[in-house]
Amino acid sequence: MDSSALLRLRGVVKKFGDFTALKGVDLDIVEGEFFTIVGPSGSGKSTLIRLLVGMDELTEGSIWLRDGRIDETPANLRPTCMVFQSLALFPHMTVGQNIEFPLKLRKEAPAARRARAEELLDLLRLPRSYYDKRISQCSGGERQRVALARALAFDPEILFFDEPLSALDYRLRKTLEKELKDLHARTGKTFVYITHSLEEAMVMSDRIAIMKEGHFEQIAVADEIYSAPVSRFVAEFMGEVNLFGLRADDAGLITSDILKIRAGVAVDNLDPGGHGLLMVRPEYVRFAGDERAFDFTLTGTLHGEYALGSRIQYEIETTGGMVTVEKLREDRLNASEGEQVTIGFDRAVTHFIREAT
Amino acid sequence: MRTLDRKLGLLSSLPLAVVLVVSFLAPLVVVAIFSVMPQKVFSLTNMPDFSSYAVFFDQGYYKSLLWSLGMALVSTVILLVVCWPLSYAMAKVFKKFTLVLTIAVVMSLFVSENIRLFGWVLTLMKGGLIEGHIRAWTGVGFDSPLYGVPIIVFGLVYVYLPFMLFPLAQGIAMVPDDTRQAAYDLGATRWQVLWQIEVPLAAPGIVVGSLLSFVLAAGALAESKILGGQAVIAIADDIETAFTFGQNWPLGSALSMILIVIIGGLALFGVSKVDLDAIMGRKR
Amino acid sequence: MPTSRSTRIVLYVYGILVIAFLYLPLVSVAFASVSRARYLSFPIKRYSTKWYGEAVESSTVSELLTTSLTVAVLVTVISVVVAFFGALAFARYQWRYRTTFQKLILLPIFFPQTVLGLALLMWFNSLGIIPSWKTAVVAHLVWIAPIATLIVSIRAYSFDPALEEAARDMGAGTWTILREITLPLLMPGMVSAALFAFLLSWGNFPLSLFTTGADSTLPEWLYAKMVSGYSPLVPTLGVMSVVGSFLLILTALAVAWLLRTNREARAAQN
Repeated sequence: MDSSALLRLRGVVKKFGDFTALKGVDLDIVEGEFFTIVGPSGSGKSTLIRLLVGMDELTEGSIWLRDGRIDETPANLRPTCMVFQSLALFPHMTVGQNIEFPLKLRKEAPAARRARAEELLDLLRLPRSYYDKRISQCSGGERQRVALARALAFDPEILFFDEPLSALDYRLRKTLEKELKDLHARTGKTFVYITHSLEEAMVMSDRIAIMKEGHFEQIAVADEIYSAPVSRFVAEFMGEVNLFGLRADDAGLITSDILKIRAGVAVDNLDPGGHGLLMVRPEYVRFAGDERAFDFTLTGTLHGEYALGSRIQYEIETTGGMVTVEKLREDRLNASEGEQVTIGFDRAVTHFIREAT
Repeated sequence: MRTLDRKLGLLSSLPLAVVLVVSFLAPLVVVAIFSVMPQKVFSLTNMPDFSSYAVFFDQGYYKSLLWSLGMALVSTVILLVVCWPLSYAMAKVFKKFTLVLTIAVVMSLFVSENIRLFGWVLTLMKGGLIEGHIRAWTGVGFDSPLYGVPIIVFGLVYVYLPFMLFPLAQGIAMVPDDTRQAAYDLGATRWQVLWQIEVPLAAPGIVVGSLLSFVLAAGALAESKILGGQAVIAIADDIETAFTFGQNWPLGSALSMILIVIIGGLALFGVSKVDLDAIMGRKR
Repeated sequence: MPTSRSTRIVLYVYGILVIAFLYLPLVSVAFASVSRARYLSFPIKRYSTKWYGEAVESSTVSELLTTSLTVAVLVTVISVVVAFFGALAFARYQWRYRTTFQKLILLPIFFPQTVLGLALLMWFNSLGIIPSWKTAVVAHLVWIAPIATLIVSIRAYSFDPALEEAARDMGAGTWTILREITLPLLMPGMVSAALFAFLLSWGNFPLSLFTTGADSTLPEWLYAKMVSGYSPLVPTLGVMSVVGSFLLILTALAVAWLLRTNREARAAQN
C-alpha cells in the first residue's frame, strides 16, 4: 500500500439484489491530487461515489481514510464533502447562509462564520455583496461557485464532484473547467471527480481512471490514457481511433488481414502465436503517394469529407471497414469522393494493445 | 393566443362561479343581514340592531367559541405530530404502499362521519367492543372514556386525519432529495436536517394541512355531540340550537358571522401565502 | 442518508396501525349489525341477520335510499360538468383573475358545513323556496363542485397545451377542440371526480340536515336515530351503506383496469 495514499479502497463490491454494480474495486488516491473517474452511464461511477461519501453501504470490502476505516461511518461524520450535479443549494437561504450552514452546524460564532464566508467568497471570486443575495437571483455559474464555497467551508479532506458541469452550456463549462483546476491548485485539497466526458477529465486531472461495468479498465495520467490505452474499450472511449487486427505466427512473422506491412517492422509485446490491436489516431495517418513510404499502408476509396472547425476529417472505405484520417485545414487533400487513395503510418505513431489469447 | 386564453379562462370559470355565487355567496350575505336583525324575527325587513352580538358576550356564547377554537388548535397540533412520520414515509420511503395507504384513507372518508363516530361509541362505551370483551375475558371492567373533553379531541383527530395527511405528504414531496443529502453530507444530524431543511421547505404543505384541519375542526359539531355527550358545547352546536330550538335566526346568524369571520380570515390569509400551482404539481 | 431497515419497518407498522385505527369503528358497527339483541352490548351473545332482512323490507329505508341516490346522482352529473370547465379555468388558461379564482373556490371547502347548511336554509326561506331534496342538491354542490374541480385540475396540470394549439393550427374551432381533445384527455380526472362527488354526496350529513326539509337522506336518518330513539337498524344500514360505497369503488377500479389492459392489448395488436 502506498503510504502517501489518502483514500484507499480494497475489494469494494456493491450489489443491488442480483445485480452487481461494483465488482471488487481497488484504488489508491494520493493526497492533494485531482483524480477523475470516467465512464459511460451504468459503469458504476455514481454508485462508487455514493459509497465514498457515505450515502450507501458496501456489500463487501473496505474503505480507508489514512489509517482509519470509514465505510461504516455515516455521511455526516465523514470529513468529506460532495458537490451534487444539481448543486443542492438551499433555496430558502441566502448565499451567505448557504455557505455558513456547515459552520453553523459546528456551532461556530457568528463573527467567525461571517469572516470565513467572506474569505470563501473572495476565493471563489464572488463579490462580498453577494452575501445577502437569494439563490434564485444567482446565475448558473454563480450558483456553482456558491456550491463550491459551501463545500469548502468546513475544510473537508476530500471534495467529491458528481458530474457538476454536464448540464451547462459549452462556454460556461469551459470556463468552469479552468476555474476548478485553478481552485484545486490554490486550495491544495484532494478532488475526486466523476464525469462521462473524457475531454473534461483530460483538461483538469492529475490521474484518470476509466471505469467499465463495475471495475477499472485503466488508471493512469492523461497522456498515457490517450496514447497507450490498455484495451479496445479505453481506446474507443476517446472517440475517433483506428484499430487493426495483427497476429504473429509461431515464427514471429507479423501479419494483418488489412494492412500491408513493410518487411522488418517489429512490434514488441506481440509474441509468437499472439494477436492484438494496432491503434493509430486519425491525426497520425497520412495520405501516401507510394505504398512503400510507410511501415503500414493500405488502399481504399474516399467516402466522405467532414469539416470540423480547425480540422478536416476524411473517411476512407477499406476492406477492413472505415478508416478515419484527420488533417489540419491548411493541409486539405485534393481528391474527390470515390477516388482511390493510399494511406499509411509508421510504427512510431502506433500503439499495440495486446489481447488475451 | 394570449387574448384567446383570457377569454376562454373567463368563460370557463363561469359555471363554477355561478354555482358559488348562488349557493355560497348569496346565503352568506343573507346570514350577514340576519345577524343584525332584532331577536327572533324571521324576515329581513326589520330595522337593524346589534342585539345578537350583545347576546354573544352577555350570555356566555363566547365560551363555546373559545372551546371550539381551543379544541381545534389542540387537535391540529396533535395531527401534525401524528401525521408527519406517515406523510414523510408516503412521500419519501414507501413505494407501492403509498397507493395502498391513499386508497384506504380515502375510502374511509366516503363513509358518513356519523357512522364512523357511532362506531367509536360502540367501541369505547361500557359494554362496547373493547370494554365488553376485556370484562368478559378478565373480569375487570373500566369506565368508558366517552362523554368528556379529551374524547372530543380524539374524535376531531380521527375525522380530520386525512385532511392533514395528504397536504403534508404533498409538502414533504416538494423537498428535493439532493438538498436533504447535501445537508447530511455537510455534517447535519437528523434533527438538524428536520428543522433547518425539511420543515422550512415543506412549509406550504404544513400550512395547507394545518389550516384545513383547524378550520374544519373549529366548525365541527358531531364529535362533541356524539362522542362528547355535550360535555362542552361547540360553537356550531350553539348555532344549530339557536336556529332550531331557539327559533332565533338573528342570534344564530350573528354567531355564524363571528365564526365565519375568524375562519374565513385565517383561510384567506393562509391560502394567499401558498403557491397553489406548485403544491398541486404543476408541470410547466 | 438512506432510511435504515429498522426505521422502514417501524414506518410500515405505523402505517398499518393507522389504517386499522381508521377502520376499527366500522368493525364495531359490522358486529353490531349482526347481533340479535335489540340493545347492543359486547361480547355478542347471539348472532342473527334478521336486521338486514328488516332493513331490506322497510319502506322507510327504501325511501331514504331513493332520496340519497337521487340527490347523489344529480350532484355528480352537475359537479362533473362544472368541474370540467372550472378545471380549465383553474389550471389551463392564463387569464387575469386566475389566481384569485383559485383561492376563492377553495373557500367553500374550508367552510364549516353546519353553518353553510343553516345559511342555505335561511337563503331558501327568504326566497320563498320550501326545502326538499332539490334544495339539498344545491347545498351539496357548494361543497362538492369545488372539490371535483380540484380533482380534474390535477389532471389538467399535466396537460400539454401544445396539443390544443396544434389542433387550432390545423383549423379546429374552440368547441371542436374541447370536445375532441380536451375532454378525452381530462376524462380520467373526470371519472375520479364523479366517483368522489357521488360518494361525498351519498355520505354527507350536515348539509343535508338543514336543506332537505321534509325529505330525508340516509345519513340524516342515522343521525336522528343515534341521538334519540336508537334502532338496531342503525348499524345495519350503516354497514349496507359502507359496503355499497366500497363495491362502487371496486367496480370503478376494476372497470378502469379492464379498460387499460384492453387498450394495451389492442395497441399491441396494431
